Amino acid sequence: MKNSYESVILKNMETELIDIKNTAISFILEAEDLDSLEETKLQFLGRSGKLTLAIKHITKVPMEKRKEFGILANEVKNTIEDAIENQKSKLKNQKLTKVIEKIDVTNPGVKPLLGHLHLVTQAVKEITNIFERIGFERVKYPEVEWDWYAFEALNFPGEHPARDDWETFFIKGESDSKKGPMILTPHTSSGQIREMERKQKPPIKMLNIAKCYRRQSDISHAPMFHQFEGLVIDKDIAITHLKGTLDYFVKSFFGPERKARIRPYHFQFTEPSFEVDVSCGVCSGKGCKLCKEGWLEMGGAGMVHPNVLKAGGINPEKYTGFAFGWGVERVLMMREGLKIDDLRLLYSNNLDFLEQF
Amino acid sequence: MNIKILDSWLKQYVKTKATPEKIAELLSLSSVSVERIEKYDDDFVYDLEVTTNRPDLMSVVGIARETATVLEQNGIEARFILPKLAKPQTPKKDLIEMKNDPKLVNRLLAVVMDVRVGESPKEIRQRLEASGTRSLNNVIDVTNYVMKTIGHPTHVFDFDRLNTKTLIIQEAVKGEVIETLDDKNYSLSGGEIVAVNDSNEIVDLLGIMGLKNSVVTDKTKRILYFINNDKPKKIRKASMSLGIRTEAAVVNEKDVDAETAYEALLLGIKLFQEVADGQIASEIIDIYPNKVEKHSVEVSLEKINKIIGIEIDPAKTLKALSNLGFKTQIAHGKIKVEVPSFRAADIKIEEDLIEEIARIHGYHNLPSILPPQTEIIPHKFDNPFYWEQRVKTAMKYWGFTEAYTYSMVSEGLFEGPLEDAVEIANPLSEELVYMRKTLVPSLLNVSLENKKKEKIKIFEIANVYNKRVKDLPEEIMTFAGVIKKEKVSFFEVKGIIEQLSQDLGIKELIFKQSEKSGNGSSVYVGNEYIGEIEILDSNLIDFELNFESLIKHATLKKQYKPLAKFPPIIEDLSFNVDKNTETQALINEIKKQSELIVEVSLLDQHEKSRTFHIYYQHPQRNLINEEISEVRKNIISSLQEKFSASVR
Repeated sequence: MKNSYESVILKNMETELIDIKNTAISFILEAEDLDSLEETKLQFLGRSGKLTLAIKHITKVPMEKRKEFGILANEVKNTIEDAIENQKSKLKNQKLTKVIEKIDVTNPGVKPLLGHLHLVTQAVKEITNIFERIGFERVKYPEVEWDWYAFEALNFPGEHPARDDWETFFIKGESDSKKGPMILTPHTSSGQIREMERKQKPPIKMLNIAKCYRRQSDISHAPMFHQFEGLVIDKDIAITHLKGTLDYFVKSFFGPERKARIRPYHFQFTEPSFEVDVSCGVCSGKGCKLCKEGWLEMGGAGMVHPNVLKAGGINPEKYTGFAFGWGVERVLMMREGLKIDDLRLLYSNNLDFLEQF
Repeated sequence: MNIKILDSWLKQYVKTKATPEKIAELLSLSSVSVERIEKYDDDFVYDLEVTTNRPDLMSVVGIARETATVLEQNGIEARFILPKLAKPQTPKKDLIEMKNDPKLVNRLLAVVMDVRVGESPKEIRQRLEASGTRSLNNVIDVTNYVMKTIGHPTHVFDFDRLNTKTLIIQEAVKGEVIETLDDKNYSLSGGEIVAVNDSNEIVDLLGIMGLKNSVVTDKTKRILYFINNDKPKKIRKASMSLGIRTEAAVVNEKDVDAETAYEALLLGIKLFQEVADGQIASEIIDIYPNKVEKHSVEVSLEKINKIIGIEIDPAKTLKALSNLGFKTQIAHGKIKVEVPSFRAADIKIEEDLIEEIARIHGYHNLPSILPPQTEIIPHKFDNPFYWEQRVKTAMKYWGFTEAYTYSMVSEGLFEGPLEDAVEIANPLSEELVYMRKTLVPSLLNVSLENKKKEKIKIFEIANVYNKRVKDLPEEIMTFAGVIKKEKVSFFEVKGIIEQLSQDLGIKELIFKQSEKSGNGSSVYVGNEYIGEIEILDSNLIDFELNFESLIKHATLKKQYKPLAKFPPIIEDLSFNVDKNTETQALINEIKKQSELIVEVSLLDQHEKSRTFHIYYQHPQRNLINEEISEVRKNIISSLQEKFSASVR
């Protein structure tokens, strides 16, 4: 008997909740403005609102049925709240529709702030992404470097022109008895030996992007510039792998219509050595004032010289490798359409210039 | 170094029907870069870039040898014609004696000839002018013509003007003065190779340029034709320090072949005879203390194929090497070559020979293959490069423009005592002498240089350099910025650093009154000093942070906190408090009062009054008024007690 009595109470209370819901929704749908909607909300959901009071009657529900009742009460509350929100946005939109008729959409927008990243930063990011996709690991090594890493270990003879003070910046102070004088590194190649020392054993797939310094300043040289250096050392690395890497980079960075080639050149730290050309983007390789018979020089590359491997503690009988070092500014300026006629503009820090990019 | 050669001149030594375009293309791909071909009357001029290891290619004969080889390799008929030169008959007469120093000069060749000075024939004049050398007279022209043909620089003196029985080769003494044939005076630094006559006058600056006192003139009747093969290092040093960069100096500093000096002598004698009525008047002097040694290089086919990446054709390879002047043999899978004297300095190890084989095969004929990935390296996503990019991007979207200023600064832009500076011994200008220890001065300089702009927001991330004893300087990635605008607020800069820390997942960011002189704030993460915000004037604020210290605390780790089920209760409390009391201290004190306080912020500040926005929240239930009034009471009394603050 007791059970059936309790069920009746529960039934009644459930009916009451459903009634409240239905009444509330009809009020809500009839609300014509936000104020009357707010009033309806108070009437049902407020502290002494109909639903709030009904829920307080939960004490009359037997313990074991309270959960069931609670779930229903919650559902009803959510339904009413959703209906209010829907009606609210509907009413707001009505208001908005009226406003739009009055605005002049050609007036300027309220813009969030937008600054500018330097072209070099933009290029470094792209280059990093391109090489990381094929397994290169980006590293960082000193800019102020020992002669050993920049020249001696890279097979530069003592009297090589790059080592005299016409071309390279020297730092004042005593030389190290083993590593020679301190200099500003003139190329990212100084990272080659450092990387061999760090990894100790191939395989190596290094990407070193860094500031470099040379005693030069003219329209195509700044005393500070950036290079990106690739170094791959493993068993059976061949010239064909260098070609593959180069083609991949050129198509990725310059676009699929540009072509790359390597041709003989001479560097101390590579043998064979190559100069890398990319077809001219202005004349599409036909030959014009900007290029050399349709080609633009991108920079040097080659197979790592056995003396360099030895200096880095790697057995040249067992391993071979290739390396390349190209100018970040140079590849930027070789891109079609940028049209910067003086490289030093990049470091002028003229804001009118920087804000163009 | 570049050389310009007329097509017709080249074809005197290469028999071929190939067009200049084809020759240029194949030379560029397999030998020497042809930067341009230009029409020259009915002829063409090649402009070639020769690498420093190939001084033998600074000559028509050298280029001809390469041309014939690459044409033939690519299936185009071509034959190299070696110039035939024989030793002439000479009278048994000593007119001059040479005293050489083998430490300075490897080989000396000389002969006295009677000549008639006049104009050169048209062909010589044209070939020289097309190559960028002005035609002067037949005698001078011959020396230049021989250099361009054979690749070894040569010289002539007016024999009578030398006025001497001996020529002594020696090093110059510092301070000696010479007048070169282009009427310029130079004070020598000492160590230059010079020739002096019996009166101890310097009559030649060897390997670089002739002198006014012995140069051939219109009146010259008798010449001393003189060829010197010098120590390259000596020439380089002298040429650079005097700033005389003649074609002869550029070639002589590159280890030019002493054997070709003799060919140059013979060709010169022949040409003097042909174009200047030359008569040999003395014996040929040949002092040759430092002979070029013959050597061989051997490499296995296996290694060749391994480095090139494909299998090459041995027969074709041997033919090409032989065309290039190597004596070749093949046995037991190995190629062995005897290196010609003009390549002696360049071809020494296996790899040098592999380069010859690969380039003649043609790099353009090789396939492109990506290197294999043989190692698994876990990719550390949040590396310093990642954070650098993330911070730069944030700055961009907060309206900052990124600057790149030079690492080297002037004395004026260097902060700190100069003895702490990493200093460049050979700076390019006064502006670029010291490796900077701070970035802000460079950025302030940018702001000065852009003074027309009323509003400037710039930043830079770059290294600074701290000197260390007997070691490389410490290079620290540093992040700095400058805001210039009317009435710029300190809190604008502080807000940027706060939001940046938020974005980098850095907690415990603390701002304290600056310990440095001046107005501003020191920035800490926990106990670690990170940098400064500096108020320069009401329109200019800068900041500089140690980027490496900052990103040490950065993290991508995220943690979920269960969402609050019950809404917070928010109230504003206003206090009258001494102006010098720090807001942060008040906030910390308020927070300390109860765990129910989840957030406190400064809402408003007027004179002595400060209003705080306080959030009370319980994670599991609704708060009741009694609980809050209890906490509120504690806040009021503790602020009263610690800061003499009174609630308003």
